[in-house]
Amino acid sequence: MDRVEATNSSQKNRRTLNNSFWVKGGYFDYQILFIILVIVLFGVMMVYSSSSYRAVVNGLDSAYFAKRQAIFAALGIVVMIVTSKVNYRYYQNFSMLLMYMSIALSALVFVIGTASHGATRWIPLGPIHFQPSEIAKPAIIIYMAHACVTQSSLLNSIKGIIRLVFLPAVCVVLIGKENLSTAIVCFAIIVVIMFVASPKFLNLLILGLVGVSAAAAAIMLVGYRGDRIDAWLHPETSENGFQTMQSLYAIGSGGLFGRGLGESIQKMGFLPESHNDMIFSVICEELGLFGAIGVIILFVILLLRCRYVANHSPDSFGGLLCTGVITHIAVQFIINIGVVTNTIPNTGVTLPFISYGGTSLVFLLLEMGIVLGVSRQMRPEV
Amino acid sequence: MSDNKSNLFVVHNMHRLSFFIGFVILFSLVVIGRLINLMVIESEKYAGLATAIQERERSIKARRGLIYDRNGTCLASNKPVCSISVIHSQITDAEIVIKTLSEKLDMDEAEIRKRVEKVSSREKIKSNVDKELADEIRKMNLDGVMVDDDYKRYYPYETLASKVIGFTGADNQGIVGIEVWYDEVLAGTNGSINTLTDAKGIEVENKAKNRVEPIPGNNLVLTLDVNIQSYAESKAMEVLQKKSAKRVCIIVMNPQNGEIYALADVPEYNLNKPFELNTASEDETGNTQDKLNKMWRCFCISDTYEPGSAFKVVTAAAALEENVVSENDGFYCPGYRVVDDRRIRCHKVSGHGQETFKEGIMNSCNPVFMDVGARLGATNFYKHLRALGLFEKTGVDLPGEATSIFHKEENVKTVDMAVMSFGQSFQITPLQLMRAVSAVINGGKLVTPHFGLYITDENNNIIEKLEYEEKENAISAETSEKMKYLLDAVVSEGTGGKAYVEGYNIGGKTATSQKLPRGNGKYIASFVGFAPSDNPQVLTLVLIDEPEGVYYGGTIAAPVAGEVFRNILPYMGFEKSVVEEEKKSTDVFIDTVY
Repeated sequence: MDRVEATNSSQKNRRTLNNSFWVKGGYFDYQILFIILVIVLFGVMMVYSSSSYRAVVNGLDSAYFAKRQAIFAALGIVVMIVTSKVNYRYYQNFSMLLMYMSIALSALVFVIGTASHGATRWIPLGPIHFQPSEIAKPAIIIYMAHACVTQSSLLNSIKGIIRLVFLPAVCVVLIGKENLSTAIVCFAIIVVIMFVASPKFLNLLILGLVGVSAAAAAIMLVGYRGDRIDAWLHPETSENGFQTMQSLYAIGSGGLFGRGLGESIQKMGFLPESHNDMIFSVICEELGLFGAIGVIILFVILLLRCRYVANHSPDSFGGLLCTGVITHIAVQFIINIGVVTNTIPNTGVTLPFISYGGTSLVFLLLEMGIVLGVSRQMRPEV
Repeated sequence: MSDNKSNLFVVHNMHRLSFFIGFVILFSLVVIGRLINLMVIESEKYAGLATAIQERERSIKARRGLIYDRNGTCLASNKPVCSISVIHSQITDAEIVIKTLSEKLDMDEAEIRKRVEKVSSREKIKSNVDKELADEIRKMNLDGVMVDDDYKRYYPYETLASKVIGFTGADNQGIVGIEVWYDEVLAGTNGSINTLTDAKGIEVENKAKNRVEPIPGNNLVLTLDVNIQSYAESKAMEVLQKKSAKRVCIIVMNPQNGEIYALADVPEYNLNKPFELNTASEDETGNTQDKLNKMWRCFCISDTYEPGSAFKVVTAAAALEENVVSENDGFYCPGYRVVDDRRIRCHKVSGHGQETFKEGIMNSCNPVFMDVGARLGATNFYKHLRALGLFEKTGVDLPGEATSIFHKEENVKTVDMAVMSFGQSFQITPLQLMRAVSAVINGGKLVTPHFGLYITDENNNIIEKLEYEEKENAISAETSEKMKYLLDAVVSEGTGGKAYVEGYNIGGKTATSQKLPRGNGKYIASFVGFAPSDNPQVLTLVLIDEPEGVYYGGTIAAPVAGEVFRNILPYMGFEKSVVEEEKKSTDVFIDTVY
């Protein structure tokens, strides 16, 4: 790909296609596409490895979970490609609508949601179960990016900031009622977008401190979350340390080069959520330290490439959109690997693109489509 | 597009995004550090902990070593059996398991239910199950029921040398006899196999690893000779029945090195069914366990008795050694001797009259020995008892050996000394007597009576020759020579005449011991004899416990010893000597007892 040509064409696009819904042709960031494909395919493979035992035990086809994941991956990639062709500026028109929709769906969960693992997070939608908190993340990204661009003056005062974040905050609270982990991710997205957009550090610092102390208070006040702290500090003795210890056993068994693909023992019923929140443990056990570092490097490269797109966005809205997506992926990524290695207290967050979960994968790929859409209109480096 | 503002407004602090990315990279580095710690530095710890929950060790039983007699005849072998156990977590239908096992194994349903319902990793239901029966259960493929191959001890000769060999328990561990003394030699080392299991404890197929092969136990070759042993047992049984005795023991030993060729202690019991009482023990009092213990007990090693006149061998040897008497010293027996204020009778109430020391031994005359004992004195007597190993255990390689009971040397009064000189007022084991007599006749060497000869490997190659302690100069060679001559005279001319065997020179001494308390009318008749008398190679002790009717050692025990010699000496390769003239006059001495 010839960079000069690409930027030329994107400038041309900007001129000519500025107001159209579809962005035709132009630059396409194959680097991001390539990394995404590698991560997603690797994810399907690891889902197969880590879920086949569970599938067989439950009387299902050994590839049951892997097949479902593969179908969602294919669907997600189509969604990503299509989304990348959409002129991202159009999203501004829907930012309010999406926000209200997210709030409504998050509230709806309480009415018609189905429970799983002791928390009500799902809305049955035909044959699949739809997790409304997933749609909240892109909605909040778009809303915040739009708000910070159009009402940037609000960022100058605490009062303004409160006005700015009011709607997303309602959404986060609704989600947080049932799903603290997703609420934390959403909260992080809001904070990081404002951090990047705000001309002033101080306000954000205050906001950040308030947020952190609120989170700390929430953890201390809610009983079972306090137990998690104990399980984090003393996993070997704590009653709730079982899952953490199983994860550490898996990681420790991996050694430098791992047991080999498909050879994990811990996935055989020892490790809860082996194909889900704890998939990184299975990666460590089967592929060893080098495999684990490889996965971390893939994510870092992806994030750096997205940052490149953000920095070369033709406008701040595109930049902030990318910032939101980066935050979403990065926060889930660090929380997941942090939990699995017991670096931070246990909270159930999936590893983006790799953990089993259809809704999550499709929406993550949709967000990547947004970033790819911004990349089509990148401006040349100054 | 309605809102074009954003096109004109470019955020100037996009570089702040780099702070965030930087933070993410920093956090990733922390996690990588943590991973290096977990996967490299502490890898062993966590992998070990993981292994502990993932693996289950199953042991592979080692074959127990075989026991052979000195000719290579197998006395104890193994036959394949199975043990059956249940694994709680794998049982899918407990009721069927309980029902099937109780039917097949003929066990109480409640008993099996208790074990099936117990939450443990593995609960044993029954061991030593017949192979065919176990295979039937194995074929039924019941979830949670494990059938493991095992060995069961099997004794082809059943009762032969039962008190010596002993038997093993449910885990093939020795319980009594040679089986427990040589348990470490015979046991071998169990192997193990680590199988990987999933969280429910179900073994993961084809993931077995770390198989440690079992090391079979070594074989043991005994000094016993099946032919001598079975002859001794049949002879003992014959006497037992004829004399309605409580027990008859026949020990055949090599006095030169302590190898025991036979130790019959009838009634014997069936080693394949050690928990079934034999007929003799059913009359015993006490609970079943006491009865069993009595049945398994080897009298010759675990019990003491008053040796009686047989002990005159020791007294005579001590006296000769101390030069307080010589062969032709004159003595007079009026039929009793008064010691202090006590009148101690000779067995011949009318008295032996004038006699030499040699005749005193031949006649087993108590007054002669009381005189000799008095000349000897307690200090010298005890010195020689000690030298002949009578204050210590013989060191025989069987468990449960008893120790002798003697007066303290400083407490021995004149009366005690007089009585001890002819074998009363103290207790020793039959084997201690054998050992002391061996030293007297073999030139003064105190041997260790023993059963273990060699330890051999699976292919019967000798790994170790078992060595036993020998102490030289327990008495002088000169005294030993004299004693052989004197004891030969006991058989050829004296009370031991009934032990005489044509064509062989046999030495020996009779004894009739009263059982305590005195005057209960119970006796132990015995005879200790050896052949050939000039170069003793076989020492035999015959001991008849509580015979009915005639109870004199010379009358009932000596002929048994004679029979034993008559049969085993040719078998052992001792030629009859050609000199065979004067004998037949033995009949003359038959009336004399003692």
